[in-house]
Order: sequence, then C-alpha cells, then structure tokens
Amino acid sequence: MIRSEQLNKVYRMGKIEVPALRDVSLEIEEGEFLAIVGSSGSGKSTLLNMLGCLDKPTSGAVFLDGVNTASLSENELAGIRREKIGFIFQQFNLIHSLNALENVSLPLFFAGVSSDERLKRAAELLTKVGLRERMHHKPSELSGGQQQRVAIARALSNNPAIIIGDEPTGNVDSETGDAIMGILEGLNREGRTVIVVTHDLEIASHAPRVIRMKDGRLLEQ
Amino acid sequence: MKDIFLLAYRDIKERKARTGLTLLGIAVGIAAVIALMSVGYGFEQSVTGQLVEMADLIYVFPGKGFGSAHVELGSLDERDLKDVGGIGGVKEAAAGAMSMEEVEYRGEKTVVNILGTDPRDIGVIFGDMVKTEEGRDLRDNDHKTCLIGQGIANDYFDEEIRVNDRITIGGSKFRVVGVMEKQGGFNSDLDSTIYVTRRDAKGVLGNDDIAVIWARVRNIDEAEEIAAEIEERLDENHKLDDFTTAMTMGSAIEQLKTIFTLLQAVLVAIASISLIVASIGIMNTMLMSVMERTHEVGIMKAIGAKNGNVLSLFLLESGMVSMVGGVCGCVLGVFGANVISIGIRAAFGEEIAAIVRPEVLLGGILVAVIVGVLSGLYPARKASKMSPVEAVRYE
Ligand SMILES: Nc1ncnc2c1ncn2[C@@H]1O[C@H](COP(=O)(O)OP(=O)(O)OP(=O)(O)O)[C@@H](O)[C@H]1O
Ligand SMILES: [Mg+2]
Repeated sequence: MIRSEQLNKVYRMGKIEVPALRDVSLEIEEGEFLAIVGSSGSGKSTLLNMLGCLDKPTSGAVFLDGVNTASLSENELAGIRREKIGFIFQQFNLIHSLNALENVSLPLFFAGVSSDERLKRAAELLTKVGLRERMHHKPSELSGGQQQRVAIARALSNNPAIIIGDEPTGNVDSETGDAIMGILEGLNREGRTVIVVTHDLEIASHAPRVIRMKDGRLLEQ
Repeated sequence: MKDIFLLAYRDIKERKARTGLTLLGIAVGIAAVIALMSVGYGFEQSVTGQLVEMADLIYVFPGKGFGSAHVELGSLDERDLKDVGGIGGVKEAAAGAMSMEEVEYRGEKTVVNILGTDPRDIGVIFGDMVKTEEGRDLRDNDHKTCLIGQGIANDYFDEEIRVNDRITIGGSKFRVVGVMEKQGGFNSDLDSTIYVTRRDAKGVLGNDDIAVIWARVRNIDEAEEIAAEIEERLDENHKLDDFTTAMTMGSAIEQLKTIFTLLQAVLVAIASISLIVASIGIMNTMLMSVMERTHEVGIMKAIGAKNGNVLSLFLLESGMVSMVGGVCGCVLGVFGANVISIGIRAAFGEEIAAIVRPEVLLGGILVAVIVGVLSGLYPARKASKMSPVEAVRYE
C-alpha cells in the first residue's frame, strides 16, 4: 500500500546539511490507522510530506500502490495528492478569502468536477462533519475546531483512500482534539488509511499502531 | 471556468487599493494612446476632408514644387491654359496669377499673397467651399476691386478691414468688395490671400504670367492619366523636359495620409511609454500578490492544484485587472480626446473633432489584456513553481 525504502532527506541550508530522515523503511497497510510520535525536530513532518507526495526524498523510495513516487513529475504528484490523499494540517490552512463551502469544493475544482456537483458534495461533507449551519462562513468567522472540521471535509472532498494529518489536534483544546480524532476513527472505519502525526500520547492512543521517531530515525515499533 | 474567475475576483477584491492603482496605471496608458489616435484621426479628417471635395482637381504649375522654380523656368501662358482646357476628360480649366505684393492699409504696410483670377473661375478652383461672407463676389467688369480672406480682414493689420474700405496693393488703390468665409485647416492659406481679377493682377504684376492652372476632371479615376497628359503637352509647349508638374489632389491626399500615418505612429509610440510603465506596475502588483499568497498557493498545491492551475489563476487575475483597466482607459481616452479638441479650439480656433474609431477602442482593450497577461506571466510562473511544502510550513 504505502511503503518507504531507505528513505533519506537532507535539507541544505547554505553549507550546512541537516539530515531530517535517515534510512526510514516503513510499511503501511491499506485501512490502517497509524500514529507517528516523537519529539520536536525528530522528522515527523518531513516523513509525512514524503508519504503524502508533497516532497521528494533525497534518496530512497516511496511506493504508493506500487508506484515509486520519487520518479514522478510535479504534476503527476499533484494528481496523486488530488486523487488519493487528503491533508489535514495543524494550522488548518484554509483559504481566508473563501467561505467553508468554497474551501471544501476547491480540490474538486482542481479535479475538474462540475460546479453543481462540487457544491453538492461540499455541502454533504460539511453536513457530515457537523457544519451544516456554517457553510457560508469565512474561516475567520469559525472557531479553531470548526475550521479543522472544514479542513477535514476538504480533505475528504475527492474521496481519498489516505488521510494524512500533521498534528491535526495541535491547535485545538483537548476536548475538540478528541472529537477530531473521533472523526478520523470514523473515516478509518470507512476503510481509509489514516496517518496522524502528534506528540500527544493521549491522542496517539486512539491509533492501533504507533511508531516513534528520534533524530530522523524510526525507533522499534 | 466560472469559478476560477470567481477565485481571481475574490483575490482582486481583497486588495482593492493596490488593484485600483494598478488599474489606473493601465487605464491612463490606454487612454493616452486612444486620445492621441482619436485626435490624430480627427486632424487627418479635418485636413483631408477639405481635400476630398477637391479630389477632381489637378494643379498645374511650372517647376517641381508648388510655387518654387517658376521664376527661373518661366511661367505658364494663355496657350497652356487653352491646351489644358482642350484635353479630353478635362471639364474646365482656370488660370491664376500669383505674386507677393506690398499692401498698405491706413498707413500700415505688409506683404500679402495676391491671387488674380477671373471671377467666374473662382467656382472652378474652389468649388463650393469658398464663399463670400460679407459683401459680394468679384465681377467680370470690376475694376480695382478685391475680395479678401478672413485673416487679411482681421489679423494682418491693426485695424480691421471692412467691405468698401480702401487698400493699396503694389501702389494702386483697390476697393474691398467682399470678405471670404474663414477656411482654416489645410486651406488656411486662402484666409491670408487677396483676390483680384486677372486684369487687375496684370496691372499690379506688370505681366500676363500664369502661375498656376487648375483643371477639374470629369472622372476622378482618370485624373492620373490626364495629369500625365497635361505635363507632356505643356513640356512640349515650352520645349523643356520636366517643365510642368501636374499634381492630382488624389495623390496629394495620399501623400498627406502617409504623413498622418507616420505622425500617428510617432504619437502612439510616445504614448506607449506610459503603457510600459503601467505594465511594470502590473508586474509589481502581481509579484507582491504572489509573495503575499505564498501560503495560499502552497495550500492549493497541497490539495492537488497543478502548476497550470496556479499559473492560470494568476494570469487570469492580471488579465482581469488589465481588461477592466483597458475599458476604463477607453472611457478616459474618449473623454481626453474631446478635451483635447476643445483645447485646440480654444487655443487655435481650429475645429478638430476627435474621431473615435471602434476598432481603436477594441484594440485598446486587447492591448491592455495582452500587456496584463504578459506582465503577469513572470509572477504567475513564479507562483506556479512554488513548492507546496515550503509554502505550507508556516502560517
Ligand atoms: N525546509 C527545511 N529546511 C531546513 N531544515 C528543515 C526544513 N524542514 C525541516 N527541517 C529540519 O529537519 C528536521 C526535522 O523537521 P520536521 O519538521 O520534520 O520535525 P517534526 O518532527 O515535524 O517537528 P515538530 O514536532 O516540531 O513539528 C528539523 O531539524 C528541522 O529543523
Ligand atoms: Mg512537524
């Protein structure tokens, strides 16, 4: 399903080289719910970016459904992100000038879905995450938890097989965090693969499988 | 498609002031070009329009340029006039004697162009264009009488010359019987001319020379051939090659149009500088917009936007701004053109109505959009090449 082999990522900052990932080999089954934990700077986000096709490794390979994503072009990666992956970020990363409905329908727009179909799907998804009453609100008019639910709805708009969350509960209180994890558990029950980065062990305990990172390496699982 | 417009529109709306200024830059550039072109067309029309009424006229004069070399070569005579009149296709021919003479009015002296022609020929020469405004026309049996142009009446002397006033032309007293209508434009020469009969001209000039023969042709299409025939015939009369020039008004109009096209091109080139400045403005605005929206672009890419999606979004944005700028520029340009015509009338007394051609307006909008898209290209490419991770990392 998702498999990384000897994944290395080195950031170059002028003359200094920062190794962010060292020889990370990992296999994630379809329909798995995985939490990645580790201290700040251990390379969790970097790994997630590789798995989510946002970035390319310095060496090594990531196989997604058997395809080595390291060999794909930028536009092919964009296509994979659009069709197979839904992202949820710590900072929500909604577009401020668009309301909830438009934010959720944006990935469908890039996928070339017709306008009516898009709005219909976006409305359904917002209803599903409990924001039926807030569809026409701008992000600035929503609470952190509501914004994160809009972001989840957006991640689901293209009906992706994989949901990737980089500290999706990092900017909300623990109660809202639990609610968000609840939604993610629900998505996992629908058969989607869910990968979540967190440094909150309480949050990680929602996941059946937890892996730890330290200094860019995977610790024993 | 509609939605990407909406998206671009939202982004523009978020930056009202800056977009407004960029738009103004484009609008002013386009307006400058449109105003200058429209005034140019108006100017061309006011000049060639007068000439078109005389399109069937052929000017025949000795030498190469009008009024240049006839002194050395000799001048035309009665035989020439008769021959020109006899050429097939020539409807009528008229002769004019011309010279610069000293004119005195109430003790004030100046040198003025005198045109001597038979009264009945005035119609042949000027058609319906030149009319007497005050007093009467010249008559065949007039003696020592003259018609004067508006300029002579009002501007040449401190005191205005009126009908029945007396002026001295080349030493002999003349009575003013009429004042001509103001011509202006290409015909403003006629405003500063004094008209006498040929008989009187002979008295003043002391000879019977003909400076110019005007011939009106029956069919304008034949004008060039007839002109060639006139040249040949008169050259033969005077036993000299290239003695005469017979110039059709048609070819004069063509020449003028060429000059106007050149003039127009120079004006537009100058006005285009403001467009270049405006395009730098767009590029600047778009670059700032791209920089501010690094994060937004990153999000779009993370959720699956291809480079092309981002590119077209930003291009659309600059295209929309510049198109609106172009439309505003058209409105502003038409307004400006009219202001310029009013200014010209106030300053020079010339009636030049700006001519706004629809194709110039369309061209203006098109140029605006092209300028907008071209100057948006670099910022848009920059945006489309952004890496999603870098852009998404920080809020
Ligand atoms: N774009 C970059 N340029 C340079 N170094 C980077 C870049 N991104 C990450 N790093 C470095 O790589 C290492 C891993 O960073 P990463 O963001 O993956 O950590 P993390 O585990 O997600 O930390 P946190 O819990 O604080 O989010 C860090 O030392 C970081 O400084
Ligand atoms: Mg991180």
